[in-house]
Amino acid sequence: MKIKVELFGVCREFSDKDFIDLEFDKNIQIKDIRNEMIKFVENKFPENKNYLEMVKKSAFSSKDEIVEDEFMLNNNQTVSIIPPIGGG
Amino acid sequence: MFHCEVVDVKTNQITIEKAQKFIESQKCGASLYFLGTVRDHNNDKTVTGITYDAHDSMVKKSFKEIYEDAIQKLKLDHPAAFVEHAKGYVPLGGISVIIAVACKHRAQVYEFSRFIIEEIKKKTPIWKKEHYQGEETAWLEGKQIQVKN
Repeated sequence: MKIKVELFGVCREFSDKDFIDLEFDKNIQIKDIRNEMIKFVENKFPENKNYLEMVKKSAFSSKDEIVEDEFMLNNNQTVSIIPPIGGG
Repeated sequence: MFHCEVVDVKTNQITIEKAQKFIESQKCGASLYFLGTVRDHNNDKTVTGITYDAHDSMVKKSFKEIYEDAIQKLKLDHPAAFVEHAKGYVPLGGISVIIAVACKHRAQVYEFSRFIIEEIKKKTPIWKKEHYQGEETAWLEGKQIQVKN
């Protein structure tokens, strides 16, 4: 199954695009997305511990709602990674 | 009465005049304008500007929830609020956020405005990348969003 992860804040540094496409061969939950993002960062930016920390501290949203780690995802769903915030 | 927007500063700008036009009412005896602006230093570094990133639809939803929460908690008389936040590069001195509020009495507008900005800091998905002298940049460490289980 395919999931699109929209990137925000510091996570925009992970790609030249605004999103990352992930593929899975089973039904997945948000915690699987987080684990896959952790692997992605460890492979692509092995020296950058801050990026890794940011993924671990990030929340995820679906349809503008923050969702918990056990939230089930459907094929072709889009989610957003929400790293720690700080506007104003 | 409520208005909110994420303003892409490449094509638009935040102005006090727009806010004033929205909140003015003969029912209200007090108005207050809060502006967040880009300052020239942070953590002993010379700041030249800030790029703001935002999840637009979640930001607008968050602003609306904060407004409704304020109405409920602060028991305001004739409340009006105009909230806009910048998205994109804002140079030194530029406006990053405006919170214009109006109520029947003065005590309420101070509470109302303070409530909105403090809640934005805690709940609204906006991020800052500071630009420093010499091309260096850094995303600021923010506050982790708490997930309700």
